[in-house]
Amino acid sequence: MRMDTVIMGGGLSALTCGIALAKRGQRVAIVASGQSTLLFNGGSMELLGCVDGKAVTSPLEAIAALPAEHPYSKLGADRISELASEAHSLLTDAGIVMEGKADANHWRITPIGVAKPAWLTLSSHFSIDSLGELPCKRLALMCIRGFFDQPNGMLAEGLKGLGFEVDKLEFTTDEITALRRSPSEMRANSLAKRLVSNASLQRVADEINRLAADADMVLFPSVLADEDVIQTLKSMVKKPLRLVATLPPAVSGNRMQALLRHYFRMLGGNYLMGDTVVSGTLEGDRLTSVTTAKLGDMPLRADNFVLATGSFVSKGLVADYGRVYEPILDLDVDADADREQWTRFGVLEPQAYSRYGVKTDAGLHCLKQGKPIQNLRAIGSVLSGHDAIKMGDGTGVSLLTALAAAQSILATK
Amino acid sequence: MADKMQICNISENNFEQCTKCSICTTVCPVAAVTTDYPGPKQAGPDGERYRLKDPAYYDKMLKLCLNCKRCEVACPSGVHIADIIQSARMKAGEGKRASLRDTMLANTDLLGMVANKVAPLANATLGLAPTKLVMHSVMAIDKHRTFPAYSRTKFETWFKRHAQSRQDAYPKHVSYFHGCYVNYNFPKLGQDLVKLMNAMGYGVHLLDKEQCCGVALIANGLYKQAKRQGRVNAASIRQTVNTDHRTVLTTSSSCTFNLRDEYPAILGIDTRDVRDNIMLATRFIYRLIDEEKVKLVFKKDYQRRIAYHTACHMQRMGWQLYSIELLRMIPGLDLQELEQECCGISGTYGFKKENYERSQAIGSVLFKHIADAQVEAVATDCETCKWQIEMSTGLPVENPISILADALDVEATRQANGL
Amino acid sequence: MVTNEVYNIEYDVIVIGGGVTGAGTARDCALRGLKVLLVERNDYSTGATGRNHGLMHSGARYAVTDGESASECISENMILRRIARHCVEETDGLFITLPEDDLTYQRTFVDACQRAGIRADIIDPAEAIAIEPSVNPELIGAVRVPDASIDPFRLTVANLLDARLHGAETLNYHEVEGMIVNQGRVEGVKLLNKRNGEHVEVRGRVVVNAAGIWGQRIAQMAGVNISMFPARGALLIFGHRVNKMVVNRCRKPANADILVPDDTVCVIGTTSDRIPIETVDDMRVTREEVDVLLNEGIKLAPSLATTRVIRAYAGVRPLVASDDDPSGRSISRGIVCLDHAKRDGVEGFITITGGKMMTYRLMGEIVTDAVCAKLGNTAPCVTASQPLPGSEEGAPSQHDTTKRYSFGQRAAIGRHGSLAARIETDNDIDNALVCECEGVTVGEIKYAVHQLHVHNLVNLRRRTRVGMGTCQGKLCSCRAASLMGEMNHDVKRAQEDLADFLDERWKGMRPVAWGDTLREAQLTAAIYEGLCGLDKAVDMTGKEEVQ
Repeated sequence: MRMDTVIMGGGLSALTCGIALAKRGQRVAIVASGQSTLLFNGGSMELLGCVDGKAVTSPLEAIAALPAEHPYSKLGADRISELASEAHSLLTDAGIVMEGKADANHWRITPIGVAKPAWLTLSSHFSIDSLGELPCKRLALMCIRGFFDQPNGMLAEGLKGLGFEVDKLEFTTDEITALRRSPSEMRANSLAKRLVSNASLQRVADEINRLAADADMVLFPSVLADEDVIQTLKSMVKKPLRLVATLPPAVSGNRMQALLRHYFRMLGGNYLMGDTVVSGTLEGDRLTSVTTAKLGDMPLRADNFVLATGSFVSKGLVADYGRVYEPILDLDVDADADREQWTRFGVLEPQAYSRYGVKTDAGLHCLKQGKPIQNLRAIGSVLSGHDAIKMGDGTGVSLLTALAAAQSILATK
Repeated sequence: MADKMQICNISENNFEQCTKCSICTTVCPVAAVTTDYPGPKQAGPDGERYRLKDPAYYDKMLKLCLNCKRCEVACPSGVHIADIIQSARMKAGEGKRASLRDTMLANTDLLGMVANKVAPLANATLGLAPTKLVMHSVMAIDKHRTFPAYSRTKFETWFKRHAQSRQDAYPKHVSYFHGCYVNYNFPKLGQDLVKLMNAMGYGVHLLDKEQCCGVALIANGLYKQAKRQGRVNAASIRQTVNTDHRTVLTTSSSCTFNLRDEYPAILGIDTRDVRDNIMLATRFIYRLIDEEKVKLVFKKDYQRRIAYHTACHMQRMGWQLYSIELLRMIPGLDLQELEQECCGISGTYGFKKENYERSQAIGSVLFKHIADAQVEAVATDCETCKWQIEMSTGLPVENPISILADALDVEATRQANGL
Repeated sequence: MVTNEVYNIEYDVIVIGGGVTGAGTARDCALRGLKVLLVERNDYSTGATGRNHGLMHSGARYAVTDGESASECISENMILRRIARHCVEETDGLFITLPEDDLTYQRTFVDACQRAGIRADIIDPAEAIAIEPSVNPELIGAVRVPDASIDPFRLTVANLLDARLHGAETLNYHEVEGMIVNQGRVEGVKLLNKRNGEHVEVRGRVVVNAAGIWGQRIAQMAGVNISMFPARGALLIFGHRVNKMVVNRCRKPANADILVPDDTVCVIGTTSDRIPIETVDDMRVTREEVDVLLNEGIKLAPSLATTRVIRAYAGVRPLVASDDDPSGRSISRGIVCLDHAKRDGVEGFITITGGKMMTYRLMGEIVTDAVCAKLGNTAPCVTASQPLPGSEEGAPSQHDTTKRYSFGQRAAIGRHGSLAARIETDNDIDNALVCECEGVTVGEIKYAVHQLHVHNLVNLRRRTRVGMGTCQGKLCSCRAASLMGEMNHDVKRAQEDLADFLDERWKGMRPVAWGDTLREAQLTAAIYEGLCGLDKAVDMTGKEEVQ
């Protein structure tokens, strides 16, 4: 089967790249090994949150000072602003409405009540522009009875620490009580499937209006399936209402993934869900086709390929007893050879493995035995050169490298 | 020795590759509508660790699993969650004493054979109010269900009378595993396949012996019978592949998935040697076109707007691409690909009285997508999805092979292929 | 009881050490009517008790080298099957001979078992494979013995619970800083309450040193010298059970030759290395130890080569030095009870050491006899016949298939025996699972927090198995931290407790952090650091390891 571009991996970077290419008329196939780590996203994108342990206020300025091996440096610091704005538009076009600026971080509120720097946050979610100027004083934190994936105690303490007055208000409705009959399945996404009809939302709104009469703003766990549902509930509640992220799998991440996938399909893209690229055929410095587990003896041929397979957790990188490697083509990786060096003793210390990834040249081309593969580019979490956990730049790197790779592919035509 | 160790962790069904990320729980159609089912993570990898410790930890509610495999498709770690659940059910001896109803529903060919002989009567009887009531109360088949109509003439009978003698004349040949649905309920799909293949220059042949693939038997826990029938099918397929050198084509995604993957994974019938020779006709045809070995020419005046629904087992096989790409080749066809959702029928599951409401609730998300798509028909490769969607949306549902056959300019195609 | 009142009582006996020996001693003393205080510097069962195989030896392993220990083992083994049923799984064990081993040793082994009173049946290798399919199929000989699996955390807690039921007081996080010594007589202990930093003195007529390898330091505080032989052993935990029976090598004891099915996992061990006494608190497992354990382990059960390793840990055997054997294996595992009045002229102070987890009850009996002799108490020992709380006659069983228990209920019965009845199950919220891997419910957490001396998440894990599944606490640790914070009205500490718990889990994962274990760790980091920002909220620098 012949495509213009085949993208290996199906998460944020793969979809962004796929959309950018399909929009320009390319025939694109995305091979996704199951759902992606986007389901662990609480509704924000981060361009750059932290450098040397300090929170970043202006990502664009801080990016200019990053070391050469950082993926942003490869893209060129001067292109970041333009790529960031393109990414924002692409998300908006997909139906993901987010707010924020690339030259000034705002603060998102995490499920345990920590304020973390962010670039874009879903408009429906609670965020703070400046920690010195709180948008309101008194918050009503709605706590769903029996829902343990929102640690309300920690969340409330964290908000109080930021200077808010917080009322923890526990409530339930018939739908919620019925769901709790399951010992295992009271999760954010299961609540989202139950809180859909106007009647069920009205029952929730009645409880909010009854309990939160004194609040300036109502915070509600992010367990609402889509924008329609959110707007309906907002219209029923008398106070301003914002959502706060829960423990994963997150409804907001799930929704973003679905919207991006839908947009990609609308543009004619082929999204092969639950399939995995197992090998590829190299001819000289070009990749000519890849074989997937399910398409079997009918390989996918294409002019260009994109590696967006993610880090260890998504199996884009594999660490076995003896080494770290890239499992499809055994591409060159940036990783320590000695297993003792992969990790550090304390769980919250920066872990060396977080920086591991495939090696690329300045144009994001993957290297094999030191030589670039001319039509294979790497994007997203499979890239080396930064610690996304500590720097808070994972989603930004995914979005921006995806767009840069798409531009470069379109330019080769 | 150390360098050979810990390269990959290969426990049965990859169950310990589970990172407990819980993503599977977001796609389970059963857990979405009932709290009785513990969800794929609990029923699968979590429960399996405890069942390995002591089989007393088996939970009877595992029988609610539809075996739709959506959890496996969503799993980023490659865990065969549904296989873990099926094998736990089998080990626990579920289905040793299946009820009359389960036996009847599971034996799609037996039911078909009887009904087919007396088709007008069966159709009338199965649709009659008092009969439905008896089925609802005595046999626990839901009264809302319309049984798929039974054809008066079996596909096999039609084929032998009207098609068989012509097939040897074609230059190339394939075998056809038609399945119960084509044979008893909807011979037209088989006829469409014969029309399509013949136009491309392929003769179509039946297997020496074909029995129900057993997908419904597995779902109803009738593993022993499924194994018996599976062995007959495996032998017939092996014979045609090895002796006649023919590929075995199918027109049902569930039969295909069952023959290729569930036989070895669940029934322990090793079909790996012939697995690559069993495939959906859409894949076979797509490949011929892709390799420029055949051409399809379509009618100029064909105009339709259709939505494609990926059946759960189709998605598990990963082959929707072929059906979709073939349909996109029809010039006048406006095709919408629907976001993958479960229709809720899952073979015979939705026919059972106790599952009816659950089944409809599961399907409701898909039905809404279909309504939003504003199409005149739905295409899908699964016959039970067809029943469910037709009953629930009122729209006609067609197999991509039938749509292709319908849109085909037969004479032009024959000429293009040098016939 | 309010803590201050606890300090002001004059006890008959103060037991130092909250391992299984201390707990068993406290129970025995309490059952004989003595007023008992047990003190533990960390949490209960944090020393060698919580850092072994969880193997209920039949004694067969020691039969050839140490007949006396072997006899003690089989006798205690039979007792524990009766009194601690909810802590024991009667798996039986195999001693297999591989082609590289000497098959004639099998005869020596079986004869020695018979002399020690241990049933040892030679079985056909094919039969061994049939009853234990995970065993190395190349085996040339097999002997079946009554080994079993035992949960040391549960065993310790059950002893403590019974001690308390009979009037004992038990305090964890109380470290002995010194002895109250008056005219050559030990009259009590000086304690640091590690939870609030308070220094207190408590008086007792007799002080029992049951501090395991740390007993040498305790003895020094009383001016007494004991020379311990610290022998360190490392072990690996696999993600699920590959074996149903205990599997041993039928040869002289060596590295990594025992594979034990423990609850939902299996454990291979151990190595054995003599270490300096100063390093007994360093429990880091080295790469070399991991390599040895895997290389040897796969000879017992080849499937271990491809089974996920979820943790590594190490413990130190509290052996008493008796010769210069560098391997530390041929020295006696025998019980050592030192009355320091007779040995060193220090009154009111007894050390109980040596021995094994297996013989904890007997050690308790021996030292309690010595205590009673000093105090003139003549009550007989009943610990061999009186079941532990949870294991009474007729207690419900997790194996009972006639009962329709939920997953959480069945798992709780497996952990707490009849005491599971104290867990609330009559509403949906109490029945909700917090840890889905191990089936720990909200109700079970409430029970543990309110009745089993739980101060932090790590304590909770030892009482309930929360966070002990393959994911090592991925989502449940946050749920549990939040719940505990609300129960203890201390939500401020919840973030810190969560970080401590994840750190404790990581310490065990790190030596085996490759493959799926590394994937697991990365996902946990993505959730707690990336999504939640825990690293921004908690400062872990310079923090001691949490016990």
